[in-house]
Amino acid sequence: MEPEDVKEAVVFKRSGQPLQWGAQVVLLAGFGGMLGLMLFAGIDSLRALRQIQARNVQIRQTFLLRNRALEEIRSALYQSGTLTRDYLLERDAGRAETYRASLQQVREDMQASLVRYSRSLDASEEGPFQSLRSRIADYWKVLDPIFHWNAAAKLERSDAFLHQELFPRRNTTLEIADRIGEVNEQELNNGDEQLKAIFDRFRFRLGLMLAITLGVGCVLAIVTSGQILRLARDAELRYRQVVNARSELKELSARLVEAQEQERRAISRELHDEVGQSLSALLMELGNLGAVVPADAELRRHLESIRKLAESSVNVVRNMALLLRPSMLDDLGLVPALQWQAREISKRTGMAVTVDAENVADDLPEGHKTCIYRVVQEALHNCARHARARSVRIQVVQEGGRILLSVADDGQGFDSALVRGLGLLGMEERVTHLGGDFQVQSERGRGTRLQVEIPLVARAVEAMA
Amino acid sequence: MNSVRIVLADDHTVMRNGLRLLLERQPNLQVVAEASDGRQAVALTESINPDVVIMDIGMPNLNGIEATRQIVSQNPRAAVAILSMHADESYVIRALKAGARAYLLKDSAEADLLAAVRALTEGKSFFSPAISKILVEDYMRQLENRGVEDTYELLTNREREILQLLAEGKTNKEVANMLNLSLYTVETHRTHILQKLNLHSVPELILYAVRKRIIA
Repeated sequence: MEPEDVKEAVVFKRSGQPLQWGAQVVLLAGFGGMLGLMLFAGIDSLRALRQIQARNVQIRQTFLLRNRALEEIRSALYQSGTLTRDYLLERDAGRAETYRASLQQVREDMQASLVRYSRSLDASEEGPFQSLRSRIADYWKVLDPIFHWNAAAKLERSDAFLHQELFPRRNTTLEIADRIGEVNEQELNNGDEQLKAIFDRFRFRLGLMLAITLGVGCVLAIVTSGQILRLARDAELRYRQVVNARSELKELSARLVEAQEQERRAISRELHDEVGQSLSALLMELGNLGAVVPADAELRRHLESIRKLAESSVNVVRNMALLLRPSMLDDLGLVPALQWQAREISKRTGMAVTVDAENVADDLPEGHKTCIYRVVQEALHNCARHARARSVRIQVVQEGGRILLSVADDGQGFDSALVRGLGLLGMEERVTHLGGDFQVQSERGRGTRLQVEIPLVARAVEAMA
Repeated sequence: MNSVRIVLADDHTVMRNGLRLLLERQPNLQVVAEASDGRQAVALTESINPDVVIMDIGMPNLNGIEATRQIVSQNPRAAVAILSMHADESYVIRALKAGARAYLLKDSAEADLLAAVRALTEGKSFFSPAISKILVEDYMRQLENRGVEDTYELLTNREREILQLLAEGKTNKEVANMLNLSLYTVETHRTHILQKLNLHSVPELILYAVRKRIIA
C-alpha cells in the first residue's frame, strides 16, 4: 500500500469510530425534543381552543339568560300597569277579582325573574340591580292600597293614581331595567375582551412554540446534513479504497501470472537448450566413443547402458520443458502450440481434440499468445478431468482487430450460473487483463462452451510506441 | 567419387564437434564449414555452396527454420537437413515448408545422420524413425478419433506412384522424365492427389507420405 493510502485509512478510522456515540445522542435528543415540542404545542392548542370555546358559550348563555330575565321583568312591568288600570276601571267585582289574580301572578313571575337574574349577578351590576329591586318593591308597595279601595274610591281616585303614582314609578323602574340591560351588554363586551385576551395569549404561546420547533428543526437539519455528508464522504473513501485494493490485487495477480510465465519460459529454455543439448551431445560423443573403443563385450554393454540412460534423460527433459511452456509458442506461434497441446491431450486421455484456426498470425503479441494458450490448456484440463468429454473442438479466429476463441466439449457440463471454480476465475482474470471478454455456457448433460474475445488494440499501441 | 561437402550450423560447440567427428569418420564426407548461428549459416552457404547443410533450429540471431527458408530461396536445390531437439509435428511441417528435405532428432543423430546425408545426396527426403513413428501414431489416432476414412484408397495406381516420387523430393520435371509423361500431365496428377487427400502443399504431402509409411 502507498504511504498516502495508509494515512487516509488512519484518518478514516479516527473520524469513523468516536463520532458515532455523540451523533446518536444528538440525533436522539434533537428529534425527541422536536417531536415533544410539536406534541406539546398540539395538545396546548387543543386545550386552549376548547377553553376559548367553552368560555364563549358561557358568556353568550349568561347574556341571553339575563337578557331574557330582564325582558320578562320589563314585560311584567308593562303588563302590571295594564292590569292595574283594568282592575281600577272594572265595575264588575268578579272580573276585577280575575285582574287582581293575574296581577298577583305577574308579580310572582317578576319575582322569579329577579331571583334568576340575581343568580348570575356581577359586581358591576350590584348597585343598579339593588336599586331595581327596591324600585320594584316600592312599585308593588304603591299598588297594595288599591285592592282595599271600594268601587267609589276606585272611580274617584284611580285616574289620579294611575297618572301620578303608577305610571311615573313604572317608567323609572323601566329606566333602571334599561340601565341594567346596558350593563349586561357591557358585560358581554367585557367577555369578548377577555376571550380576545385569552386568544392573544394562546397565539403568542403557539407562535413561540412554532419558532422554537423551527429553530430546533433547523439545527437538527444542519447537524443531520453534516452527519450524512460525512458518512457519504466516509463511504466514498471506503469505496475508493476497495476499488484501489481490488485493482491493486488484479495488477498483482497479473504480475504474478506474468512472472510465473517468464520463469516457466526461462526454465523451459534452460532445460531444452542447455540440459537437452548437452545430453544430445553426450549421446553423440558416446557414438563416437563406440566407434573407437575395442570391441570388448563388457565395455559395449556399459556404453549401451549409458546411452539408454542419456536417451531417457533427454526424453524426460524434453517433456518437462514442453509441459512448463511449449517451445512452439515462442518458436512457431500460437496455432502450432495449440495443435501440439491437442495432440498431447489426445495421446494422454484418448479424448478427440480438433483445432480449427483461421487467419491467426504467427506473431501475435506475447501476452495474447500466452493468454489463449493457457486458457485452452486449462479448458482442456477441465474437459478431461471434470467434464469427461469424448471430443473437444477448439476454434481460434483472428478478424477485425480481435481474436475469438471457443472451446466446446460434449461432456457432462455443469451449472454455469452457480459454479465458478478457481480454474475459470483464473482464465477470466487472464482474459480481462487484456481487455477481453470471457464467457462460459454450460448446462448439466449439455456440454460446455467457453468463449473468449480479446481485442488486439494493445498491439497497435505497442506498434506506435 | 567426389566427397560430399557439408556445412554444420549449431550454436553448441560440443554438438558441432561431435557431429564433425561422426561425419568425418566416413571417407567421402567432409565438413567444410561450421556456423554458430542462422545468419552465419546463410552467409557461409552462399559463399561455399555446400552439398548438404545440417541445421539446428534453436539458434541465436536467426533460427534454423528461417535460415533454411533463406538458403532454399537463394538455391532451390540446396539440401538442408534439420537436426533438432524438437520432436513435434509442428516443427517438422514448418521445417518442410521452409524447404528442408530431412528432419532428424538430435538424440538419434548418431544413428540417423549418415543415412540422412546419403538420402539427401540421392535427392530423397529423410525423417528420423522416431519422427516417423510420432507422425504415424498421430495420424492413426486421428483416423480413429474422427472416424475419417482412409483417403489413400481414393488414389489411382498412377497417382500413388507420383505421390511417392514427389514425397521423395523429386520435382515435377524429374517425375515426368522418370515416368515418360508430359510435365502438364504430372502437374494435373499432382493437383488431383492434393485434392483427394485434402492437402495444400508438397510439404504436407511429404508428411502424409511419412504417416502412410510410403517413405521412410
